[in-house]
Amino acid sequence: MIKVENLTVKYDDFIVLDNVNLEIKDESWTSIVGPNGAGKTTLLKTLLGMTSYSGSVTFDGKEVYRDLSRNVAFVPQRPFIPIGMTVIEYLTLGRAKVDGWGKEQRRGRVLIQETLETLQLVGLQDRFATQLSGGEMQRVLLARAIVQEPKVILLDEPTSALDLHYQIKTLDQIESLKNQGVTIISTMHDITLSNMYSDWIAVMRHGKVLLEGISDEVVSSPQLREAFDNSISVHTLESGKKVIVAARNETADF
Amino acid sequence: MTKLQPDSEFKPIWNIRITLISALVLVLVAILAISMGPVALEFTKIVKTLLGLEGGLEGRERTLLLQIRLPRVVLGALVGAALATSGMVYQTVFRNPLADPYLLGTAAGAGLGATIAITSTNNSFNPALPIFAFIGGAAAVAATFLVSGRYFSNPGVLLLSGIAVGSFASAIQIYLQQRNTEVLRPVYSWILGQLTVSDWNDVKWAALYIFFALIILFRISKLLDGLMLSDEEAFSLGVSPNKIRIIAVVAATLATATAVSVSGLIGFVGIIVPHIIKGITRRVTNRALPTIALAGAAFLVLADLGARTLIAPAELPIGVITAFIGAPFFLFILRTTKGGLK
Repeated sequence: MIKVENLTVKYDDFIVLDNVNLEIKDESWTSIVGPNGAGKTTLLKTLLGMTSYSGSVTFDGKEVYRDLSRNVAFVPQRPFIPIGMTVIEYLTLGRAKVDGWGKEQRRGRVLIQETLETLQLVGLQDRFATQLSGGEMQRVLLARAIVQEPKVILLDEPTSALDLHYQIKTLDQIESLKNQGVTIISTMHDITLSNMYSDWIAVMRHGKVLLEGISDEVVSSPQLREAFDNSISVHTLESGKKVIVAARNETADF
Repeated sequence: MTKLQPDSEFKPIWNIRITLISALVLVLVAILAISMGPVALEFTKIVKTLLGLEGGLEGRERTLLLQIRLPRVVLGALVGAALATSGMVYQTVFRNPLADPYLLGTAAGAGLGATIAITSTNNSFNPALPIFAFIGGAAAVAATFLVSGRYFSNPGVLLLSGIAVGSFASAIQIYLQQRNTEVLRPVYSWILGQLTVSDWNDVKWAALYIFFALIILFRISKLLDGLMLSDEEAFSLGVSPNKIRIIAVVAATLATATAVSVSGLIGFVGIIVPHIIKGITRRVTNRALPTIALAGAAFLVLADLGARTLIAPAELPIGVITAFIGAPFFLFILRTTKGGLK
């Protein structure tokens, strides 16, 4: 269980997160949605334990900045992989948390091999990571997080660089991790996809959580449109699924 | 489904054989450098003298070996190791394959310190010169950190701050030098780089600081690999990126400033050597640091041999030799890294 209470984060005098409260159940998928600059990425970094904050952020009752032993993986929106590093070298670094820096264990090798197979990366392992396509890179980033054997994975916009086909494939793979018992927390721009995959959605704006709840309820709520300045419209398909699309709005406030 | 070959793709992250080969090359190059010069020394006699056996060198030849050639070779090896290792560390910390110890204003600051030492005493040899160079180098790095403020963890901001601080230090240095034209020659010869040591005492002090810095860098070398990822990934794998970054930059700067203070400005070693090792091994890892140190030592001893012998009896500044090889190499790296070193 991850519990966020009265969380406030400031950069100099600028309030990035303003009194955020959130509860995240184990083995669930929570999506954080909202317009640019809402504080989504900062919330992820705070959950990781990287930013200083006031209030409380606890994993299983322990404050995040105190407990550095917890295993939480982070999948960045934009990777930094050095020129000349191969896919397999990058994945091997992912074992550092479990095996220790500089130690490769047999178990790590087996897991890396399995992950390469699951994410259909076999054949790419000796390629330079900087030469991969967007879809391949996203799978490699995910694979690096998987070999870390984390209890929680934080994903920053995991689908933003992908075409529709890879968006679904990537999200399916993340869902199968959830089914194996990993807690998933992701930021996403696409509310329709968030609704399709996640159990819980938190809508953020200006550093505050405006609305949170079970995905279907959040999507049906009139407050959702307000969060996006009425610039979205929600449509219900025959199957009952909801689709959220951009809608032209003359009064949109930029 | 295609299966991975069990062991072929899982090469060890670092192969110790490369380290041993580098050590061997260093020993060979050092013996070559000791034996070559205006007076050639016999190989077997050198070995016997060094091991304290009978039948070694005697008289003037013995003094030449122990008091002139040997300290120079040892100093060259120390400076080469310091510059090459710092180069690799800066490249990792700033995520920039072209970063080297001359960024962050280290060298320009040390140059300013040395110029102040030379101009303030109007003396071509000044015992305080290494100390002034060291203070100048360290002050320039501190200024670079202060200028970048809380954005120091952004490699781009830190790099640009380093360039600005370095240019500022160079401007003051040139102003001082032009106002004191009578010491132009000693300032220039120092700036171009030289390894003419006065005695073993210089070598001892340089060795103390350089070994201290290198041991710290070797100890954190595995964690440094974490800095090659995004800060969030590194943190999630148990590395505090800013803490490691500060320790690495401070230690690398200590090594660089010490090297600059005893040898003047010798450029490009920090770029050439790490890239040669990376190119040969096709591995990008800081576990290579000890190997890079050994290779850097061998490289500079060889460059110094060239400096002493190419236009003998005159000497070329060693910085000219490293720049002659380094500048084209730099352009080569610049072109190849565009496509991912392929």
